[in-house]
Amino acid sequence: MNTVQSLPLLQNALTVGAILFSLGLVGILTRRNLIVMFLAAEMMLQGISVSLVAWSRYHGDWGGHVLVIFVLTVAACEAAVALVFVLQAFSRTGRLDAAAWQSLREANVARTVDHELPSIDTVPPRFPTLAPAGVLPPADENEPLQREHV
Amino acid sequence: MTPLPFAPLSSGPLLAGAVLATVASLWLLLPNGRDNTSIRWLGSLLGLAALAAFIAAGRRLGGLGEEAVFLIVSLVAVISAAATIVSRSPVYAAIWFALSLAGVAGVLLVLGAQFLGVATIVVYAGAILVMFLFVLMLAQPAGLAPYDRVSNEPFLSALAGAVLLGVLSLSIGRLSAGPATCCEPPSRNAASPSTASQSTTTPALPAGEPAPAAGDTASGPAAGMTATAIDPLAENHVARLGGELFGRHLVAVEAAGVLLLVALIGAIAVVSRGEAALAGDATTTRSAAGRSATR
Repeated sequence: MNTVQSLPLLQNALTVGAILFSLGLVGILTRRNLIVMFLAAEMMLQGISVSLVAWSRYHGDWGGHVLVIFVLTVAACEAAVALVFVLQAFSRTGRLDAAAWQSLREANVARTVDHELPSIDTVPPRFPTLAPAGVLPPADENEPLQREHV
Repeated sequence: MTPLPFAPLSSGPLLAGAVLATVASLWLLLPNGRDNTSIRWLGSLLGLAALAAFIAAGRRLGGLGEEAVFLIVSLVAVISAAATIVSRSPVYAAIWFALSLAGVAGVLLVLGAQFLGVATIVVYAGAILVMFLFVLMLAQPAGLAPYDRVSNEPFLSALAGAVLLGVLSLSIGRLSAGPATCCEPPSRNAASPSTASQSTTTPALPAGEPAPAAGDTASGPAAGMTATAIDPLAENHVARLGGELFGRHLVAVEAAGVLLLVALIGAIAVVSRGEAALAGDATTTRSAAGRSATR
């Protein structure tokens, strides 16, 4: 029974849950992409789930497990409804930006303006490349015409 | 656990022997220019012996395995969670989040929540995350969007998160082992006979803790003494969890079902109305544009 009620395991698991919750909090506060904000919210739910299960193991009680099952259910509902709203918002503004809806802000809050935004061309995407290997086979011009499938 | 036949070996030499046997078997099995069937057979037998020795050593080592596994899976969860919120591309963020979910599922498994670990993988990584990825593919502009490369008040947010983490760690570190008398579920307390004399043995609650109800205070030590702690590591885990879920929490299960149904209908209604509104907007703008073009 001593392996069940172990305080170090409880503390380690609670620390992991706290880290996940804090990272989710930072994510939902800083990020402006609506979908990444929802990912951060789900991460906070994960931290809470880890904490609940840790307490449940420490006390030898099923309450935490049952609560986590309901957290899963509510997270599924929330994701469904929220993603519908995100899609609607995207189809109206063309952006997944939370700042695209800043006309809904309070009257005394300053407007969010992107000042030193680097241009998109400064960060070219780097895709993995393969070293060329082997001999290039001679091309047959008629082959694409004779294929049934591509 | 039945005692192993070669019990006199201690775990240290057993582990060393397992490692050496693995090295020898792999070295014998790898292609080396000579095709010798008997050497391969020897290598296969050595490999099987190494596997058995590893399993035996793992059983002998006992608790060390749990701690190491917990460390690994929690590191996976935390590092990929950090990568989720700092990655520029939302698609990469979603995939890092999937890895973080795998780590969280491992943590839940180590904590003895087998059903929840598997359900996290199935529900989150299998359904919710795939839905996120669908929406990303539907709504992602080409390339990196400018709003993905800036943050809203990054310093203040990081400060808030770090301070919250520090405070939480402080309060976690101050947890002390003791009989959990204040937190017993009330229904179990109701089943145990409670007398007023036992309330004098209740330890003093820490400051700031809300005082429990009188019934809880009276029956807390009695419930602690009955030692009805449910061992989550015992057998029939899922069956007992299902019994608990559909026994004591049946009404909540029904409510969750209603919630799922309402969310489904609400999502469909929002989609259809939004599309109708968008179509109305599009036709009005198109007709206005046509009118202005004909003028």
